[in-house]
Amino acid sequence: MSDRTETIPQTGSAAAPTTCEDGTTIGLDDTVVQARGVTKLYGQGDACVHALAGVDIDLQRGAYTAIMGPSGSGKSTLMHILAGLDRPSAGNVWVDGVEVTGLKERALTQLRRDKIGFIFQTFNLLPTLTAAENIVLPLTIAGRKGEGAWVDELVATVGLGDRLKHKPAELSGGQQQRVAVARALASRPAVLFADEPTGNLDSRTGEEVLQLLRQSSEKLGQTVVMVTHDAHAATYADRIVFLKDGVIAHDCGRLGRDEIYDVIKSLEDVG
Amino acid sequence: MIRIAWRSLTAHKLRTILTTLAILLGVAMICGTYVLSDQIDRGFKNIFTDAYKGIDVAVARKAKFSGQMTGATAGLPESMIAQVKGVSGVAGAYGFVTGTGAVAVNGKVVSTGGSPTLFFSYAPSDISNTTYVQGGPPTATGEVSIIQKLATDQKLHLGSVIDVIAPGGSDKARVVGVFTFGAESSLGGSLIVDTTLADAQRWFNMPGSVSEIDAKAVAGVSSDTLAQRVRAALPAYAEVKTGTQAATDQTKQISDAIGGFLRPVLLSFGGIAVLVGAFIIFNAFSMTVAQRRREFAMLRALGASRRQVLVTITGEALAMGVLASVLGILAGLGIAAGILRLFAVAKIDIPHGGIVLAPRTVVVALAVGIIVTLLSAVIPATRATRVPPMAALQEGAVLPPSRFARFTPYFAGVVAVLGALGIVAGMYGPGNTTSRLGAIAFGAVLVFVAVAMVSRYIIRPLAGLLGWPLQKVAPVSGRLARDNTVRNPARTAATASALMIGLGVVVFVAVFAQGLKSSFIDSFDRVVRADFIVQGKNFLPLPSDTATLVQGVAGVQTAAGVEAQQAQIAKKTTAVYGVDPSSFRRIWKFDWVKGGSDALVGQLGTGNAIMEEQTASSLRSGVGKTVDVVTVDGKRAKLKVIGLYRDPILLNGVIVSDAGYTSLFGKPQLFMVFAKGGPGTSVAQNEAALKSALASVPTADVQTAQQYKDGIVKQVNQLLNLLYGLLAMSVIISLFGIVNTLVLAVFERTREIGLTRAIGMSRRQVRATVRFESVITSIIGAIMGIVVGVVFAWVVTTKFAGQGITFSIPAGQLLAFLIVGVIVGVIAAILPARRAARIDILEAIHYE
Repeated sequence: MSDRTETIPQTGSAAAPTTCEDGTTIGLDDTVVQARGVTKLYGQGDACVHALAGVDIDLQRGAYTAIMGPSGSGKSTLMHILAGLDRPSAGNVWVDGVEVTGLKERALTQLRRDKIGFIFQTFNLLPTLTAAENIVLPLTIAGRKGEGAWVDELVATVGLGDRLKHKPAELSGGQQQRVAVARALASRPAVLFADEPTGNLDSRTGEEVLQLLRQSSEKLGQTVVMVTHDAHAATYADRIVFLKDGVIAHDCGRLGRDEIYDVIKSLEDVG
Repeated sequence: MIRIAWRSLTAHKLRTILTTLAILLGVAMICGTYVLSDQIDRGFKNIFTDAYKGIDVAVARKAKFSGQMTGATAGLPESMIAQVKGVSGVAGAYGFVTGTGAVAVNGKVVSTGGSPTLFFSYAPSDISNTTYVQGGPPTATGEVSIIQKLATDQKLHLGSVIDVIAPGGSDKARVVGVFTFGAESSLGGSLIVDTTLADAQRWFNMPGSVSEIDAKAVAGVSSDTLAQRVRAALPAYAEVKTGTQAATDQTKQISDAIGGFLRPVLLSFGGIAVLVGAFIIFNAFSMTVAQRRREFAMLRALGASRRQVLVTITGEALAMGVLASVLGILAGLGIAAGILRLFAVAKIDIPHGGIVLAPRTVVVALAVGIIVTLLSAVIPATRATRVPPMAALQEGAVLPPSRFARFTPYFAGVVAVLGALGIVAGMYGPGNTTSRLGAIAFGAVLVFVAVAMVSRYIIRPLAGLLGWPLQKVAPVSGRLARDNTVRNPARTAATASALMIGLGVVVFVAVFAQGLKSSFIDSFDRVVRADFIVQGKNFLPLPSDTATLVQGVAGVQTAAGVEAQQAQIAKKTTAVYGVDPSSFRRIWKFDWVKGGSDALVGQLGTGNAIMEEQTASSLRSGVGKTVDVVTVDGKRAKLKVIGLYRDPILLNGVIVSDAGYTSLFGKPQLFMVFAKGGPGTSVAQNEAALKSALASVPTADVQTAQQYKDGIVKQVNQLLNLLYGLLAMSVIISLFGIVNTLVLAVFERTREIGLTRAIGMSRRQVRATVRFESVITSIIGAIMGIVVGVVFAWVVTTKFAGQGITFSIPAGQLLAFLIVGVIVGVIAAILPARRAARIDILEAIHYE
């Protein structure tokens, strides 16, 4: 992953080093996702709702970030915009040196293919393909070949050796989500976005998936952005960003579960 | 991407099978048509190739034009045989007379299932392809030899006496030989009788003439060279061909006669089936794209381009198209074999060679199957590319409507107008029949498509109307079914439209045929004053003295014959009828155009004629004008038109006196005799008297006026039944379409059905809901089909109003078609309803 040395966008005034609350400072040259003044409006006139009301955020390469917040806080919207799935009403987003907000359809497709990985709450595996085929799907789509060793490593990491020939319907929820993680990692994306990855899993299998994501961050240096409202899931992250009413309400380093509850409670009290 | 397409096909087997079947059947019909007609072509080709084996040059009289009623030509003078023999390089030449007649055994005409009984004057075996198995060729007058099939079927042997019936009269003849012809086991039901030249000349009214002269070349002279030499030596009216050419031409003539009708009719029904299939494919792909939108969104989220999504779906369509076409070709071979078997069972003997799968058949079948499948999938596939990647993250995301969606009604309007223009251009525009029929067909397809496009707007009111009684019968199921039908009006509309096309064509045919039948009967009742009609069996002309014979029957007040032939007037092939000026007007009530009267019939002589009004207007002729007539033999005459009458159905052409007819065509050709009973006689008595008087004319078929009318109606009905049989395929295909839609709808509503079951709905109610939805859809399709079919029939009928065809609605039949619609709906629902009822409640409510 170290070969990714593309230039980081310099956007002038808004570009400033991020200082976490625990005091660590991460340099600009390690930023892989950057958002400036991101605003999202739904509806028009009086019925206008601010889903996002000016969000600035920088995500460091290799970091495991959790985005938390209550329903309607804008956490999902932020992720969609960072991933180039949705367009902001105002503001700019860069992913791995590419300004996402200005991209046309074709370039966006290219971006998703080469720089972004997804994990969905509902797994979204292709029911007609086997686990193995699902894992290499992004490589198939991109027409990439000869990455057998990498795929083997992935399979070993997710630990599905004996289930590879099975169709998704024959796998448990946890196994399906592990396949989904492997699929998201397959194209070695600059960022992996996970949308409530444990939302449809019981606590034990959810745990396995969270550990897998943690591993990918630690062992493979994979940048991970996870949207969740599960405090336990967030404890795996290096950094937790709390959203409330479309703005970043709190941004901090690694926290334990109780600390997270405290933050949530304090944010509720403010409201 | 292709693998995704393939997996999707194999994972949804029922859907794939039903959709494939939809296109397969149409392809099979097209392929079957080609295979069958090619087989028949080959059969005839073998016969004629055999017939001309060993013949280098064939000479016949040049026909001025070809028509269906032209009959035999005058032939060539016998003296020409010597002329041909005199050409250098001719090893031998032989002239013979041939004609079509009939054979009767024990007073009964031997039936040939519509095929001709051919008479030939005997030709030596080095020229003819007959091989004697018993006895030998006829040598004296009154002797014949017969083909083995006739001998076997009728248990005839050497010395048996048969009746020979020919245009020149009937005669007794003694069988002196039995032969086989060529290598063919079947001559298509045709029988062959060999006679002496003198007998043949007498029986076929050809004294001093021969029909054809065949010649052989000496060694070293090619057929082409010899043909050139013979051509140079003979007058221009003699047509000289090489034997090969003659065989090819005759094959072509007969296969055009059969294939020219059979092939386009069968192909157009195949085309209708393909069109119905196209709707079903479109619908199936539309539904699966809607169901799989999350899958496509996920692929897009993983970086698949729009093109890759498009490729996935079109790949599926391509695979399906290839599969359907290949299977369709195989099924087509089966259909061809099946029809031949059917012919054999029905004792219709059509010669046919072995199975012919011409490259053209394969190319057309593959092209039609693949292209239609791909085209039908294009719109749904494009829609799939519009699924945003966001949809992968959202529950129940809907497809964004197309940018053009709001223009659909206008677009449909444009399509409808184009379709109407096509139909009008085809009916009234210039061009030959083929291009005009093509324009009509194209226009009709566009109209169907336009109706299908706008039909979504009538689904809601119609479903409401149809659902109302169902709701009364079954409050829950009826209500749910009605709501389900209008949930996705576009889908219901497309499903119903598939049925609409098949039934629309059925209704069109039914209404048009009804018009045909009623106008024939009206016309007959208006003009014919006769109680009896005598016709020749097997389309044979009656002996020329039949009218006199009928006149002589006690109880018959008036008898009048009608002769018929085709001739060319102003380059148009026109029917020429010959009648007896004194008797004919007593059995025929003419509808005269102003100024005309029955007295005109009495004035008919050798140089004048009366003319049907339509004929006159198409020939730009009229009273007082003179027309030039050219017979098939090239004889020219001038006829002065002395009156016009209206009779577009029965005697549409030119009427001349019998004397005029004979001077024009050289020989009589009695087509029909009309007879009227005297006052105080009963129909039954007269019928018996006529039949016994005509016992000596085995070919004569005596019918009362009512029997004759019934016979015509029966013929039309037989044709109708054949067409219904062919159209049934389209209706069956649309049935698959309904099954497909319902299966997918049930699948989509798994969760919902589980919920209704959980709150107490019975399996029976679930089944009823599906069944009612099916029936509502099929009735909508039937209603649309009936409306479109009636409108089409009305439009086409107006075109033929001049030919006397009226517009008449067969209400009973239309009701029957509506019932067919209900039945289709009930049958289509069986499988989907069972699936719906089997849904496991627990699984369903967890279903995502």
